[in-house]
Amino acid sequence: MSDNPSRTVVGRVVATELKPATPHQFHFWTARDTAIGIGAIVRVEDPTDAARVVFGVVTDAFAYSDLATPLHDVVSADGNPERAAGAPTARQEIRLWTAAVLRQFPEEPLQPVPIGQVLVATNADVAQALRMDVYLTGAHPTGIPVGLYTSGGLEAPVYLDSDFLLGPEAAHLNISGISGLATKTSAVEFLLASIFEHFPAHRGRVAALCFNVKGPDLCFLDRPGELTDEDRRRYERLGVTPEPFRRVRYYAPFKPDGVNLNTLRTHPDLVGDVEPLVWGLREALDFAEVLLNKDDIDAKADAFIDFLKDRVVGQDFDDNFGGHHRVETFADLDALFRAILRGVEDSGRGDMWRTHHVATIRKVRNRLSNISTRCKGLVTDDGAVGDLPWGAFEDRSVYVIDVANVDPLGQDLVFARIVSKLRERLEHRNLGVDVIVVFVDELNKYAPGDGPESHVRRMLLDISERGRYLGLALFGAEQFRSQVHRRVVGNAGTQIFGRMDADELATPGYQVLSPATKIKLATLPVGELMVRHPHFTQPIFVRFPRPVVLRGRDGVERFPPAEDLPFEDAIVRQLVRMDRRLKPNLVKDLVASREPEDVRRALAAVRRARPDDVLAYFRTALGSKVAADVPRERLAVPPLSPISEEPY
Amino acid sequence: MTAGRPWLDAAFAAGAVPAAFVPDASGGRSDVTEVAGADVVEGATLAAVPLGAPSWTPAPVTFVDGIQRWAVVGYDGVVPLIHAYVAAAARRRGPDRRLRTVAEASRMAVITSVRELRPAVRRALEAGAETLIDLDDVEPGQPGRALTAAGIRVERLREGVEREVAEPLAPRLGAEEWLVIDGVLSDSTALATHPRAVGVIKSHGAQYFTGDELTRALTIPAGHRTSVFQPKRHGRQPVHSWYLRLWPWQGHDLLYGLLRIEVRAHADSIRRADAVGAWLSAERAPLSTPDARFDRLLYPIHDVETYLRSRAPGDLTGSRGSRLPKTGT
Repeated sequence: MSDNPSRTVVGRVVATELKPATPHQFHFWTARDTAIGIGAIVRVEDPTDAARVVFGVVTDAFAYSDLATPLHDVVSADGNPERAAGAPTARQEIRLWTAAVLRQFPEEPLQPVPIGQVLVATNADVAQALRMDVYLTGAHPTGIPVGLYTSGGLEAPVYLDSDFLLGPEAAHLNISGISGLATKTSAVEFLLASIFEHFPAHRGRVAALCFNVKGPDLCFLDRPGELTDEDRRRYERLGVTPEPFRRVRYYAPFKPDGVNLNTLRTHPDLVGDVEPLVWGLREALDFAEVLLNKDDIDAKADAFIDFLKDRVVGQDFDDNFGGHHRVETFADLDALFRAILRGVEDSGRGDMWRTHHVATIRKVRNRLSNISTRCKGLVTDDGAVGDLPWGAFEDRSVYVIDVANVDPLGQDLVFARIVSKLRERLEHRNLGVDVIVVFVDELNKYAPGDGPESHVRRMLLDISERGRYLGLALFGAEQFRSQVHRRVVGNAGTQIFGRMDADELATPGYQVLSPATKIKLATLPVGELMVRHPHFTQPIFVRFPRPVVLRGRDGVERFPPAEDLPFEDAIVRQLVRMDRRLKPNLVKDLVASREPEDVRRALAAVRRARPDDVLAYFRTALGSKVAADVPRERLAVPPLSPISEEPY
Repeated sequence: MTAGRPWLDAAFAAGAVPAAFVPDASGGRSDVTEVAGADVVEGATLAAVPLGAPSWTPAPVTFVDGIQRWAVVGYDGVVPLIHAYVAAAARRRGPDRRLRTVAEASRMAVITSVRELRPAVRRALEAGAETLIDLDDVEPGQPGRALTAAGIRVERLREGVEREVAEPLAPRLGAEEWLVIDGVLSDSTALATHPRAVGVIKSHGAQYFTGDELTRALTIPAGHRTSVFQPKRHGRQPVHSWYLRLWPWQGHDLLYGLLRIEVRAHADSIRRADAVGAWLSAERAPLSTPDARFDRLLYPIHDVETYLRSRAPGDLTGSRGSRLPKTGT
């Protein structure tokens, strides 16, 4: 394998009436022993015009001998295959290749490929053939290394154009392939590292937000994995530093117990980096349509929810029955509902309250009250909030949202709220970064081509169609591209394919690929991908080094998740995270025999405030223990008048 | 403008009329056509000798063959102007069982009755043609006679080119290397005396035996050879020869799969006849289809022909149909 071999003639263009050379395709033959293969980039030189050069990529290959029919082989071997192999002369064979034109010089007039010599491409040829010279040179190069082109005995870096990967010209990336073999997650991890290192300075600041939707896939992005020398060499060749992500922040909701984090990154050495993702009433109410299905939200209920959002939550509110409320939590909201319903009932003035029918109020109460139950661990009754650092996203940072073990409703809420907030912040240019990459795996689940409309799918469609203007780039991954919503994959300017399932390749979306390219896709080795990019007129195969971060499977072996802690220990652990001087026994004494809800509320208050003296703040937030009233023994009081024994 | 043939343009300018007629191309060198006799030199009478499985296949082996192409490209009056191309090549088969060209030669010639041409046409040809061959023995008349005579000239020209390729190879052969020539050895001293040169004759114009011997010669079963014999009145040099049957003839024709082999006239040739015969029998695979002569055409010879045909000028190739572009393809 050479970095930049000299040009050697490997073949010659042939054109017949049945297999003519056209402006888009040509055929050439090579010797039997050749480095050319499917995906190789070749250069054709016009023997009559030195200025005329055509670049092509091999898309199909044929081999045949001068054998007229298979029967003749049987006859000549007397029906014995062993004899056929021992024939004194080997038949004449041909290696005939079909190549698709990548680029022609000059580009006009566009003419059929000349019948000339075929040469293996050099580094410079690859850059020209893929039109990379357009964005790798000039005052503001925008190339992002995606992998190494390694065909035809050459090893040349292949770059994507940042303007077409992350916007504003085009954006989004879609990667598909068989689970476990296509290395989709690894490819995205490498590409993110590459983006962080090569994102052009004139485009501003960039960060990534990754939804971890299965297992421990993205839980160890800050931990180094093992690299081979070959991997290191490829990193060097691609100009990417082989080190884990420097700034990674993890977010995960709590488990239903409200104190143990719902993630596989709970090893004692790592769990300290995981921030709880906890939302309260306001956050949930903003996305009520995500949590309530269409049967729940008729026009009346919708109007009442809007009323609550606009006029009630977070404000001092008079319920018209003499009660004053300030609704900050689900508990406050329920108190308001109780007051309203009791007031209407007691007043006897009909079934309406402020133009809303009691039945509607009851329905909305019922549905909203259930949210904190259905999304326990993510949505709390008490109003405590743990959220992403909106407005303070850091350059070249990765934000991992672990929703792998969150139920689908909670995942919907997380997707919807985070994506909406990202879009809103990017619109107002106050996210903290100018471009953010959102990585979502399992698009088959979250943006299916068929099935009921879901809020997550609408959000993903929205990113796909409008994200590039905002600097919001969706990196989506799935096993079956054909089953993802057409507009999600169709809007992805860059498409990457790992090893593909044969059934998937038989679907209409892959008709543009030659049979040979499909076979190559179906047998791609780990670490090799096929890339389509707006600048490349044909798909290109590249190899990428394995990501330098710890793979999820290896991570859970090296850092096994901790068992769920008992309630008191979990509280201690979270407080100790904020103040390592804290003595666990003091905390345990404080929370002993206290109501868990009170303890959680106090913990949330500490998390919000981040005080210097954690223990003191926690103690204050917890309040004093209110002792239960013990009924005093009643003393007998003598009657004022002695009771006569006389019954009358 | 006739590409590559300015002499033809000059001839046309001088009054010759363009024409395009391609006679059937020769498939190879033909056997001598006279009735000859032969002396059996292996045993008392001609017998069929069974050949076992090949115990030996020489490596490397060089195969030599030639082709000829000719066409009437114009007429000066009724005198045909014939353009001929002959070529020969030697392709060597190495241990990898693949053939590679080691020598080749070709000739272009114009054949015509020079004395019958108008002076201007004659001057054009003499000035421009690579080789001008005069049909000096052909009387003026119908062009058929001239074409017959031209065919013979072309054949001689091709034989000369074949010798030009093969003869220098013979002394350079390695100690274990063999040379197989498509056609007779006996018209070349260098080849007919070489211990490892073999001539393979596919056409059987000459008759060497009569009576029972002829019957035995022409009906030997597949996988058999005849006794070695020495043809009489045959070529310049004496050679030893035998018939070899590659494929069963029953159901086809007496000559189906029948080769005549020529080797040096030497006692060693008789001793090695079985081994050489078995080796050449093994050369029937791979089959040289789609050539119609596949029953007698050894694949390496077919390969040399294919090589030569691929390099022959396209305008001398017989056209099987319209050369207009096919529609709907």
